[in-house]
Amino acid sequence: MTGRDLLWASSALVLLACLALVLLIVLTKVTRTVRERRTAELVAPHRPHLLAVASGEDEGGTHRDALIEVDGPARDAVDVVVVDLLGKVRGAPAEELASVLLAHGAVDRAPHDLRDRSTLKRARAAHILGLCHVGAALPLLVQALGDPAPEVRVAATRALGRIGEPTASAALLAAVGADRVVPAGPAADALEGMGVGISGSLRDALSASSPTTRTVAAYLSGEGSFSRSLDALRVALACDDDPTVREAAAVALGRMGRAADVVALLRETGADRPRALRRACAAALGELGEPSAVVGLTALLGDPDPRLAEIAATSLLLLGPAGRSALDSAASNPSVETARALARLQAGAA
Amino acid sequence: MSWDGFVDGLRTGVVWLMDITSVPILVYFAVINLSYLLLIVLASIDFRAQHRRREAVVETFGGALSPGVSLLVPAYNEEMGIVTSVQALLSLRYPRHEVVVVDDGSSDGTFERLRAAFDLVPIPRQIPQDVPVRARIVDVHVPRDGRTRLVLVRKENSGRSEAINVALNAATEPLVAMIDADSILEPDALLRVTQPFADDPIRMVAAGGAIRPVNGSRVVSGRIVKVQMPKPWLARIQVVEYLRAFLLGRTGWSRFGALILISGAFGLFRRDVVVEAGGLDPDSIGEDFELVLRIHRKLHDEKRDYRVGFVPEPVLWTEVPSTLGVLRNQRRRWHRGLWETLWAYRGMVLRPRYGKVGMIALPYYWVFELFAPLLEFFGIIIVPLALVLDVVNIPYAILFLSLAYGLAILVTLSAMAAEEWSFHRHERWRDLGLTLVASVLENIGYRQLTVWWRLEGWWASLRRKKQVWGVMTRTGFGEAGE
Repeated sequence: MTGRDLLWASSALVLLACLALVLLIVLTKVTRTVRERRTAELVAPHRPHLLAVASGEDEGGTHRDALIEVDGPARDAVDVVVVDLLGKVRGAPAEELASVLLAHGAVDRAPHDLRDRSTLKRARAAHILGLCHVGAALPLLVQALGDPAPEVRVAATRALGRIGEPTASAALLAAVGADRVVPAGPAADALEGMGVGISGSLRDALSASSPTTRTVAAYLSGEGSFSRSLDALRVALACDDDPTVREAAAVALGRMGRAADVVALLRETGADRPRALRRACAAALGELGEPSAVVGLTALLGDPDPRLAEIAATSLLLLGPAGRSALDSAASNPSVETARALARLQAGAA
Repeated sequence: MSWDGFVDGLRTGVVWLMDITSVPILVYFAVINLSYLLLIVLASIDFRAQHRRREAVVETFGGALSPGVSLLVPAYNEEMGIVTSVQALLSLRYPRHEVVVVDDGSSDGTFERLRAAFDLVPIPRQIPQDVPVRARIVDVHVPRDGRTRLVLVRKENSGRSEAINVALNAATEPLVAMIDADSILEPDALLRVTQPFADDPIRMVAAGGAIRPVNGSRVVSGRIVKVQMPKPWLARIQVVEYLRAFLLGRTGWSRFGALILISGAFGLFRRDVVVEAGGLDPDSIGEDFELVLRIHRKLHDEKRDYRVGFVPEPVLWTEVPSTLGVLRNQRRRWHRGLWETLWAYRGMVLRPRYGKVGMIALPYYWVFELFAPLLEFFGIIIVPLALVLDVVNIPYAILFLSLAYGLAILVTLSAMAAEEWSFHRHERWRDLGLTLVASVLENIGYRQLTVWWRLEGWWASLRRKKQVWGVMTRTGFGEAGE
């Protein structure tokens, strides 16, 4: 083959590829448009029933029964809408919608679908099991936390959060730091949905090897005021390798610490500590509300970091008469003036 | 020397040049286009899965671990649109965000407009010098209502980078987003773009958001209500260009784990990391590129495990140049910034300690971004010259050009296919048709002009000519309903 032949062949190939791509683009748009139209047509007759059930206005159950009766291609289309709605409603309407999926067999199929080769099917199955609060599927969903596909792992995480069974919390926290990682965001959301039963897992997770797991545990310990984590949080604040974990521990101690934690928090406001940690600890001392922090915070008013000084002033305002009295002695400090001005504006707004 | 002798000499020179360059140039063309295709394939893998996940994030309104965000908005003589922009930013859907506007010594009514609209009052706040700033801070204002999370800092004029550094110093949230005052963020943009930080709070340090041209789209009160193709072909071609280079290209690099460029128009960073790195370099032309490379270098030097990512969902809409003069200035500046930054960080190239960034991304940018216009310019000169001198036959030359530009069109069409498959932001058939036509027209005139402008920028830098930013003449968003 000569150079010219090669050039001809390459040009022809590129031209064909371009035409194929144009065709693909057009076909993609046509297919999507037709599918959306078809789905809308299939769902249209049942939309009043769907809305009635989702809005809790199906007192006699007639609308739900009408949805259960749907069969043929419309059933799948209705199921898709039901799944969407289940993500948006709570309480009795959610239970009614779940009963439609149950009657259509979608819930019974889901455990089987969790082992399907299709990623989409597995993710959807996990989603349905969570939406319908199928507690019996817990072991399968925990197993799905290690699924090769990130989409399935996230769907399983959310499903565990919806089911809300705290026995899954240890596995979920471990999955946050696993090789096939579960993203920390959805994991934290799911753990929040599991209630007070996760306190032991959170405490244990604060000594996990993964800093992401420790961060999630520290954050949630503070959010939920899980006092079982207190000792582990103190250790994390004092000597964790990761600055993000230390900051999360400081915030958590600010929310639920004890008077004894003032010393530890003040120690971390030292000039040799990272700037972000110093600021987090100064804010935490205000949150903690212990008057014993007044002296330490007052010393920070003259810090070269004006942001830290302002946070210290704001924290002193939160410490009641002792804190406000300390601010009087530094009234001309710009950080104090700023904190007071902002407090006045906020008070005026309230 | 006679004319004939000159022509013969020239002919011999052109033949020699073509002989020694034809194979390397063909290989270069093949590799550059194949690399684009590879990036598009990598991007496509991510698109749909990410799209589904982001919807869940939007439904849950962020989630427990969503970090607070400070939106840093430098403003210089923006009196026409600053109030609408700030209102739109304040009303973004997000659990915790503040807007920090830095008035960079505006000579128009930027400050007065903001003061009147938000009832601003001065406070004696001292802005920390977490990042050193040369310009003097004039004063700091906050809204009187005590609730609206807006801070306005006035400073002496010293440029956009310093304005952002001041905003960075004034920011109080753990994440900072640099946003141009004249751009439009989608209402759920922050929910989406912060998702990687919530998912990986330890390692994620920076994320770029996708940017798309707003020209032609319908805007009401600082919100996009209908995405449409612009009327001028110059802007239409840029729509296609942004899609290919910014959306698909950067998603591909992110997926590959070697993203080195986050656009200055919309980037989200961990505040502590930017502060540690020293903030934006006020003397750099490509300050956004320079910052990301500095972060890469620093974190690699410290052997830290970190991630820089890209969020492909369209999140920020910006007006692209609609005149050749403004476009020329922009492209000159971009290429000059590219050259100066690559030169400044040449020490990272092919150094294994910098991982994929040093071994793949930076060499790629040198060879296929920096030198691309030089080689293309060579082709633009040599092929017509060879035709005039009759050293190649016309069908052969046409075939060669068809292949070269055909490959470029193929890449653009692949990007369009990926977009249509995942986001399909342009709903109208007419817009799809226009995009297809623009992908072809891009290669006739536009591409050659940008090649020339990029070389101009590079040349100006080599001659150490002072960079003049020029004025980005904006035609506005065609606001409807106001």
